[in-house]
Amino acid sequence: MTKRLAELLSLSMFLLIAILLYKSTMNFPEVVQNSTAAYVRFLAICFGGLCLLAILLRLKSKSTEENKKLDLAAAPVRFWSLLILMFVYSLLLEPLGFYLASALFLPVTMVVLGARKKILIALTAVGVLLFVYIVFAKLLGVPLPESSLF
Amino acid sequence: MIFQALQSLMTPTSLFAVFAGTVSGVFVGGMPGLTATMAVALLIPVTFTLEPLTGLILMGGVYCGAMYGGSIPAILLRTPGTPAAVATALEGYPMSQKGHGGLALKVSVISSFVGGTFSVLILLLIAPILAQFALIFGPPEYFLLAILGLVGIVSMADDENKLIKALISGLLGLIIALIGTDPISGMLRYTMNMTDLYDGVAFLPALIGMFSISQMLELTGTKSIIFEPSTMKKIKREPFPKGLKKFIAIGSATGTIVGLLPGEGATIAAFLSYNFARQHSKNKKLFGKGNPEGVAAAEAGNNGCVGGSLIPTLTLGIPGNSVAAALLGGLLVHGLIPGPELFTKYGVMTYGFILSLFLANLIFLVIGLYMSPYFARIAFTPTELLIPVVCLFSILGSYAMNNSLLDIFVALLCGIGAVILQKTGFSLGALILGLILGPIAETGFSQAMIMGNGNYAIFFDRPQGIILWLIILLLLIPPVIQIFRRHRQK
Repeated sequence: MTKRLAELLSLSMFLLIAILLYKSTMNFPEVVQNSTAAYVRFLAICFGGLCLLAILLRLKSKSTEENKKLDLAAAPVRFWSLLILMFVYSLLLEPLGFYLASALFLPVTMVVLGARKKILIALTAVGVLLFVYIVFAKLLGVPLPESSLF
Repeated sequence: MIFQALQSLMTPTSLFAVFAGTVSGVFVGGMPGLTATMAVALLIPVTFTLEPLTGLILMGGVYCGAMYGGSIPAILLRTPGTPAAVATALEGYPMSQKGHGGLALKVSVISSFVGGTFSVLILLLIAPILAQFALIFGPPEYFLLAILGLVGIVSMADDENKLIKALISGLLGLIIALIGTDPISGMLRYTMNMTDLYDGVAFLPALIGMFSISQMLELTGTKSIIFEPSTMKKIKREPFPKGLKKFIAIGSATGTIVGLLPGEGATIAAFLSYNFARQHSKNKKLFGKGNPEGVAAAEAGNNGCVGGSLIPTLTLGIPGNSVAAALLGGLLVHGLIPGPELFTKYGVMTYGFILSLFLANLIFLVIGLYMSPYFARIAFTPTELLIPVVCLFSILGSYAMNNSLLDIFVALLCGIGAVILQKTGFSLGALILGLILGPIAETGFSQAMIMGNGNYAIFFDRPQGIILWLIILLLLIPPVIQIFRRHRQK
């Protein structure tokens, strides 16, 4: 996908949001039609108007810079792997609990990102979990996600 | 009375309380997910068993330390420890990337010290007079204050294309801030029946996602945060840059004034100071690329908020921000009711507490100056070890605020969203500004409209409102003229 197309797609999506936002104020109670509904309508008009203007400027522009491919990441495999691992880790927090999920997430992510020294990986993972246990759980009493299975 | 207060502060217990509070504050501020409000609130039960002055000193130390501590990960990892450090990250992180992380930390700690000390001095000298000033601000003025903050968006752009995208980003932030409960009717809006969204999109997870997670995703393509590892040797030896006094002064004054307005927080103070610095800088082009002037103004601004926010708290019982509200809780549990009595009957304790804040500023200055070269070494950690650890703390930080798994997904979505928006030329700074100012702008606008019976004249017919309009125009005209000039030159 080119940068130009990505921009046009985002702007069109924003324009749609502006229209839906404006329409949604009709369902607001009568009592707020002159206060919060007016504010939302004001935002929707400004947002939609600016998106329309940006789309027109983009269509008019003939810069070659914008026809370049949109590169989200310098290392796509690592980028998407990290994102997927973070989503999986977040999903595992509830069934496995914080410590078990983190004990899996840390070493796996380090290896995926290119770490190879086993001792360094193990020490970092254990050190971080110990730190969280002592400071967050014991010292400050911050509640951490607990396992629903065990 | 001040002499007696000084005596009560010079006991070993009080001195230890200031030290312990400030060190804990720097630590709490430096950890994403642990906020100064949380730490002060956690300390309230602890202070039950302590002497009232010791308890207050402890909480004051945490407050001062946390305001500074937030800048450390913001500068080194682009992960703001506290929301107030976002503006610092805008300039501090690019400085770290260029190998000047040590210098950025030095600028940050000195500016934080000056801003914090100035605001505490104002608190000590003219607290009751300034507290009256906060009372003349009504809903129309709060709306205008939000607009004043949003003017910063215009100065974030240097051509009309970027200006339009920055404005769209700012409006997107304001629109995201609409999610939650209507402040006037109590009606739920755009919550998709998710109870976790009833209070709106949690600000800290969104912030962690946009700044920290997006940055970790970007770093997957590099071996180190720093572009040129050869710059490592420079860390200890860089002198303090000249010409920063003006920007520290701007930040200190802005932070103190914004701090004393109830409901306005250190985040807004830091952004406003950053914006003012940008307007007055001779190196405008360097902003966003690692300008120490931006770090100086933002840090002086958020620390300037400490003394400022305590003025209405101690004199009127109206907390200047959420940390001051938690501190107010600490005062009340000890039977100390805000008002004139606090400065007469309980004067020794109140002045002792205020004087302890000077000491807290001095302690974090020493910690910061001595430790900054060591902190800065974080930037040399290999990314394959750093990224998973920062991601874990980002996810933990997002969860810890409300114990909500949804907040983690908010952070992740904001992270990937931020990468896409940045690559397509939108402004994250403007989006964050919109998100911060959204609730203030909406509540101010809606309440003002009710006050004025639907008539927009309410925003123009009060002297304080007119002054704010003038400031807005003064800030708006120069960048707009510059953009038009550049357009003509093209």
